[in-house]
Order: sequence, then C-alpha cells, then structure tokens
Amino acid sequence: MREMSQLKRVLDNGDMAVTAECGPPKGADPEAIFKKAELLRGKVDAINVTDNQTAIVRMSSLAACGLLISAGLDPVLQVVVRDRNRIALQSDILGASAMGIRNILCLSGDHQSFGNQPQAMGVFDLDSIQLIQVAKTMRDEGTVWGGDPLTKAPELFIGAAANPFADPLELRVIRLAKKIRAGTNFIQTQCVYNLDRFEQWMNMARDRGLPEHVSILAGVTPLKSSGMAQYMRDRVSGIDIPDELMKRMQGVPKNRQRQEGINICVETIQRLKEIQGIRGFHIMAIEWEEAVGEIVARADLLPRPSFDQD
Amino acid sequence: MITAEQKPIDEIREMIEPYEKILLLGCDSCVAECAAGGEKETAMLASTLRIAAKMEGRDVLIHEKTVDRQCVKDFILPLDDIINQYDAVLSLGCGAGVQAVAEIFSEIPIIPALNTKFIGETRDQGYWVENCIGCGDCMLYYFGGVCPLTRCAKNLLNGPCGGSKDGKCEVDPEVPCAWQLIFERLSAFNALERLEKIYPPKDWSEKQGRGPRKIIREDQQL
Amino acid sequence: MSQTSKENKITLALFYCQNIPESGKQDRQSLEEEYGKSIRLFPIPCSGRLEPLHLLRALEEFADVAYVITCPEGECRYFDGNLRAKKRVQRTREIIESIGLEGERIGIVMNKNSKSLARQAHEIMENITHLRPSPVLSPHRAQQEKGEKRDNC
Repeated sequence: MREMSQLKRVLDNGDMAVTAECGPPKGADPEAIFKKAELLRGKVDAINVTDNQTAIVRMSSLAACGLLISAGLDPVLQVVVRDRNRIALQSDILGASAMGIRNILCLSGDHQSFGNQPQAMGVFDLDSIQLIQVAKTMRDEGTVWGGDPLTKAPELFIGAAANPFADPLELRVIRLAKKIRAGTNFIQTQCVYNLDRFEQWMNMARDRGLPEHVSILAGVTPLKSSGMAQYMRDRVSGIDIPDELMKRMQGVPKNRQRQEGINICVETIQRLKEIQGIRGFHIMAIEWEEAVGEIVARADLLPRPSFDQD
Repeated sequence: MITAEQKPIDEIREMIEPYEKILLLGCDSCVAECAAGGEKETAMLASTLRIAAKMEGRDVLIHEKTVDRQCVKDFILPLDDIINQYDAVLSLGCGAGVQAVAEIFSEIPIIPALNTKFIGETRDQGYWVENCIGCGDCMLYYFGGVCPLTRCAKNLLNGPCGGSKDGKCEVDPEVPCAWQLIFERLSAFNALERLEKIYPPKDWSEKQGRGPRKIIREDQQL
Repeated sequence: MSQTSKENKITLALFYCQNIPESGKQDRQSLEEEYGKSIRLFPIPCSGRLEPLHLLRALEEFADVAYVITCPEGECRYFDGNLRAKKRVQRTREIIESIGLEGERIGIVMNKNSKSLARQAHEIMENITHLRPSPVLSPHRAQQEKGEKRDNC
C-alpha cells in the first residue's frame, strides 16, 4: 500500500507538481476509470476524482479512487459537503485512508439544483473550510470532531479549491487565508484564462504571505471549441474567459479548434510558471484526458519525478 | 412572521370531500399578514368551496370563523361551543396552528388548507422573503445582520463559494449572494475582520437535537 | 315595478366606481327600471375598494355574471385603485376557473372613453347575452347538461 502521497513527495521535493482530473462514469463500469487512468499514467503526479460534479449522480468518488489505487496511481479524493453530514464525511475519510488514499480535496460542491436530482435535500452540515478543519483534527489530533479518539489517525494530504475569478476579490483572498489557517496543505484553483485577474489575486495573496504556507496549483482547462468556450463563459459559474481568448478560438476553423485550445493551455502554463508562488498545475481536461499527455509534454513538465517506494 | 400559501384548490377539495359540515378556521396573525389565511382569505375560500359544492349539486354546510391566533390555546378553547356542529375543520393556520387545534379537539379531523413556508419578512406589498431558519443560536452579529444559514443556498458559515458573480448567487441570478451582502455591510462599518475568523461547525443540536424543541419559562407559568 | 322587455335570463352584478360619468342615484334607478331583476348595481367610492370576495359572493348567491367598471388607466382619483381592481378581478377569475366555472363570468371594464354608466351597462349586457345561466345557481340543470354530454360520448 502507498505509504505517502506522491503529490506531497513531489511538492516536498521542490518540484513543480502536476495533477489531472478524472470524472467517474454515470454507471457502474470500472473500465471507464481504468481507461482514463492509463491515459494519465506517467503524465501526472496525482489524479483528482470528482465527487458527483454538477450534482449529477455518478460512481462514487471514494470507490473510483479505490480503483485508481488498485491501478497503482495516486488519487485525490474530492469530497463535497453537499451530500453528507459530518458523520458520513469523517467515516469516509477513515475509509479512504484505510484504502491508501492519501489526498483529499475539500469542497462545497455544486448546488443540487443544477443536477439530475434537483429535489434532493442539500446537506451542507459543514462547509468546505470546516471540512478542512475536521480532516486536520483527525490527522493531527487523532480524534474525530468533538474529541473522541481514533484507534488510528488517517494519513492525509489536505487540499482545497480557490476561485480567484469570483466576487468579491477581497473576500477571495480572506477566504484563501482562512483555508490555510484551517489546515489546507495545497490549493487547486479554478481554471485560469484571465491571467491579469489571476496575477492580481496572487499579488494580494503574496502581500499576506500566503504562498509560503500552502502549495498553490494553478488550474487550467483546454478549450475544445469556441462553442465550449462560450458555454463555459456564459453558463458555468466562476469561469472568466477574456474576450481576446474568445476571439482567438473563434478565429480558427472548427477542425483546428482543439489544437488551438491545447496551444492556449500550454501558453497559459508557461506564463503561470513565471508567477512567483505557483507550485504546480492542475489540468482539468473535461472528458478529454487524451489531451493531458500533449499538454504536459509541450509545457516541459515531463518526465514526472519518481521516488522509490519504501 | 410565519408565511404560508394556500394549497391548490383541487387538493383541498379532495381532502374535504368526505365531509358535509365543515368549519373553515382562519387565523388573523402571521398568515393574515401574508394574505394566506386571515379573515379575508378564509371568507374567499369558504365562498369558493360553496360555489364548487353548488355546482356539483351537493348540499354541504360550509361555515367560516377566524380566531386571533390559532397557535395559542386561549384563542382556540372558545371554539368548544361550536365545533361539535361540524364533522371536519379546514384550518387556514400555519402548521403550528393546525396542530394546536388538533391537539385540543382530538375527536374531529383538522385538515390543513395552507402550505407553511418559512419565517420571513414582508419586503414589499405582496412580496415575502425568508430570512431566518430558527437555528437556535443567532449569529447575525458576526455577519452584519445577514444570515448566511438562511440566505446562502449552501448555508456556508465561511463563504462565499466560488459561484458568486457580480454579487449574485449561482443558484438564481435574481438572488443576491448573501456573502456579497455580508461583505458590503461589514465593510460599511469597518468590521471586515469578523470575516477573518473561522466559524467552526455549527451546533445543530440547538435546532434538531432531540425532536421538537420547546421553551419552558417558569416565571411565565401560573 | 313593471317588468321590461330588456329583462335578461341571466343576472349581472355590476360594481362601479362612483367617479365614472352619469353614475348618480337617478342614473342608477333608471337602469334598474330598464333591466329589472337582470341587474344588481353596487356603487363603490373607488374600484380599489373592490375585493375578490364581493365578486365571489355575488356569484355564489345571486349573479350569473359579475363585472366592475373602473376609471380609465391613469385617471384613478386615488392613483392606483383601478389597477388594484384589475389584479383582483384577474385573481378572482383564476379562482373560479380553478373550480371549473367559466372565467368570463367575471369581467372588468376600464372606462377608456369616459362613457356613462348606462352606456357601459348596455355594452356589458350585450357582451354577456351568450352566457348560459350559472351552474352555481341552477345546479340541477348543470348536472343534466353534464349527463347529456356524457351520453353523447
């Protein structure tokens, strides 16, 4: 069993980390996970598994992470507070650690009204910052929330999300600081298209000395087409795509738009590398895991570091 | 106040269908303020149900009466004089009113005519909004008088989530993001530092710890 | 009181704002003489005072049709009385439709060209001649018609 998070090792070693995203299938087929796993093997350090994203019922994140473990990969268990109360959340954290899952990403989750179960009760017993607090308590104090001791504390590398593009900007930085104080070890950001705004957020974070206390992985998503760009800009909350990028995608014939999307993604990574305080990249190629290999190769992020397993 | 809306007429008619002598019981407090169950609405519903019965050629007795507060025993007890004339009561009280009446008159079916909605305010004429969930441990001080447990769709105590854009909630672009409001209000009186604090998991036992909550005040008792 | 030839088979409950032209006591009396039992007139100080309950009670107790005449839009002495009346008429119409009564048994006339009460009453009477007696007031007949329809199916 994996003793330590590969993601943590890479970051501890001072290397730029690379993570990718794997959305579980809307069904019970394990092959869907293994197929995506093979596309990402050797290209990234760890693989995020989304937790019923956009509130659509999918294979559980915990189970899909278990499948990745069995394939010898390092999963990041995404956990949203929408569907489980603190009893279930803590129970899942223990189960995840027992299975060898070493990374957890604490999220609020997309609201249930967006998905295919709009009549569901939204739980939201904890919020994402409180989940970080609870996970840290379990790991560092060896107790559940409230103080009851655990027979064995979970081993966790705790992560959280940040969206530099949502409003109001000042609160975004306050919230980042709170996530760090709550105990997050790493941050994966919302996908970056608007570099100016991202830099503004990073400057504000640096003014407060935040990047010294947390590993910030900048999120990127390759655009598949101008239609997708438009959809994301207009319909997906928290996405900010500047006009010049929209024009660039629209200015390319349809059959070359995928390539242009990858070009933009690679250029974005190159520019992000120059921003002080960035420790890695989180590549969310939505249902397009094939693109990740080319992106990391062209962004000079290969080979991925490897360490001898104990 | 407690807000409510009248149930669809078909649902009401289905529930009262077996009965021939029905008392419509209005409540002149909260549900009158939100135009759902006061004297006026009770009279309207009674008239509507009588019209419907006449159209079917049915001989149904439908009377109406409105009490000041259906959720207070002292206001319900006087009904003792008349309630035996009826074989069902259709209550236009909130859920608390319906149950208070049912508790006292256990022999007679009490049927709800309203869907009770929320604790809210009258923002404008004909416009009511929810702004309290009755959590039992008010935190409005910390959030500048805006309750995130009620007004944030994700009940975040350490918000906002990543979906707030142009000050609006991702769930409904018509609805202001509660955290935007909190931010503005706290900024206005230089109290933004309250947002630096991490608010720990809420103690929900104050809301739903051991079944229905009660308040007992001995100094108020006889 | 003599019965007149204009007496209709159906009864109209007519609410009207007292600020519309020629709507005084005498005008009212001559209309009542003209239509006899077919019209029941209810002057109100402003149409904003009209409640859905007034319309419902009229339909419940005696009227086949209930109408209200208001001042023209923008000319209410109390600013928005007629707009309130319009919304309340709409609401009442929805209520009666929800129990299967024709919505057109309730109507509103916003007195655009400042016609007299009598002229408006005549026009309304003409507009409603096609309506059958209300099934609320003659339920047996309504039941029979229903039965006939069913037989035809």
